[in-house]
Amino acid sequence: MSSNKESIGKTLGVVVGLCLVCAILVSTAAVQLRPLQAINKAIDVQTNILAAAGIEVKDGADISALFSENVEAKVVNMKTGKFVDTDPNSFDFEKSKFDQKISIKLDKQTDIAGIQRMTKESPVYFAKENGKISTIILPVQGYGLWGVMFGFIALDVDTTTVKNINFYKHSETPGLGGEIQNPKWVATWAGKQLPVDIIKGYTGNEINKLDGLSGATLTSIGVDNTFKFWTGENGFGPFLAEVRKGALN
Amino acid sequence: MADSKEIKQALLGPVFANNPIALQVLGVCSALAVTSSLKNALIMTMAVMVVTAFSSMFISMLRNHIPSSVRIIVQMTIIASVVIIVDQVLQAYSYATAKELSVFVGLIITNCIVMGRAEAYAMKTGPMMSFVDGLGNGLGYGVVLLTVGFIRELFGKGTLFDVSIIPLVADGGWYHPMGLLILPPSSFFIIGLFIWVLRTYKKDQVEKA
Repeated sequence: MSSNKESIGKTLGVVVGLCLVCAILVSTAAVQLRPLQAINKAIDVQTNILAAAGIEVKDGADISALFSENVEAKVVNMKTGKFVDTDPNSFDFEKSKFDQKISIKLDKQTDIAGIQRMTKESPVYFAKENGKISTIILPVQGYGLWGVMFGFIALDVDTTTVKNINFYKHSETPGLGGEIQNPKWVATWAGKQLPVDIIKGYTGNEINKLDGLSGATLTSIGVDNTFKFWTGENGFGPFLAEVRKGALN
Repeated sequence: MADSKEIKQALLGPVFANNPIALQVLGVCSALAVTSSLKNALIMTMAVMVVTAFSSMFISMLRNHIPSSVRIIVQMTIIASVVIIVDQVLQAYSYATAKELSVFVGLIITNCIVMGRAEAYAMKTGPMMSFVDGLGNGLGYGVVLLTVGFIRELFGKGTLFDVSIIPLVADGGWYHPMGLLILPPSSFFIIGLFIWVLRTYKKDQVEKA
């Protein structure tokens, strides 16, 4: 039956037909599954914010409901530190900074976190306790050893006490730099006062110093730089100043 | 139609007798990358099994129509489509694992086992047997992945499936984890040992010097 399967006509026919079928299958799968994927992505972000806020998420809990109950999202202008009327839900922590319209390029001197670009506006989150804002959650990112680490840092409303950190996406070495997610290390952050210095092998109890991760010096430096950048004047500094002036009341 | 003995041979043969990693030394690259934890190794195994099985089946269905001059490209197109669909399904239904494996799922396309089975088996055999052969080779790949993942996670992190098995010094226990095992090169040693053990047991696999 396949005597002439090597002819040019047949070859072209098979290739074009196959490409068509594969293209249709792949695009159907992508389009059909996109809504589900978008929901997953949103829930994933909300889970990370809840974790940073220290709100316990039980297995099978309705994350969206829990989120809207306990957390309020707003967008701030990074330069002025004032709230703006942008929709916080459309923000993509990984891709937004590459959108030329809404981001700026950082020069070498200011870019201590190694992120090259940052958005002009960023969402911030407020966790409420008994109806009162108790925690400010800031999205941060910075270069570790292998790639950009994405995380949230939770500050007290006094804007200087660290409550929690949550680096939810990174490409650090598992078991070494990947330990930035280790609950034991994360717990050492609670109660520290900004500005925090990460010092390798630090064992004391000073309120603004903390031990780095053993075997992960460069990751620790990355975290240190990330903190310094995002809590500094080029990061959320102006916003935190506004909060101290009473922007949340 | 193939009988049950033949099916069993196609399914279980690649596990030890004709293991794609140990005997044919294919697919080693991903075996290095995803085995630092047992969970990733398991999901990767399942993803590879699905991809090899279905791509072998589709290629086998089309084998009488695939012109030999473009057969590799045709195989790649089919494999790539299956991989993308698997990736999309993972992202929709198992987001957490998809996130962890993101890059590696895409890299199944370049996994030599998938191509190898397509070229060596599916182009000559019927769809049903090709499907089983794909499953079997995925299984053989999985046996090595899970063995390596087990050793690396247990001795590198003191855990299995993220559950603490050996208490680490850092957590107040006694065990100093072997940092080397967490890094990809350690898989070379473990795969090497695996091949050694296998060839000591199955002498016919030893190549003539």
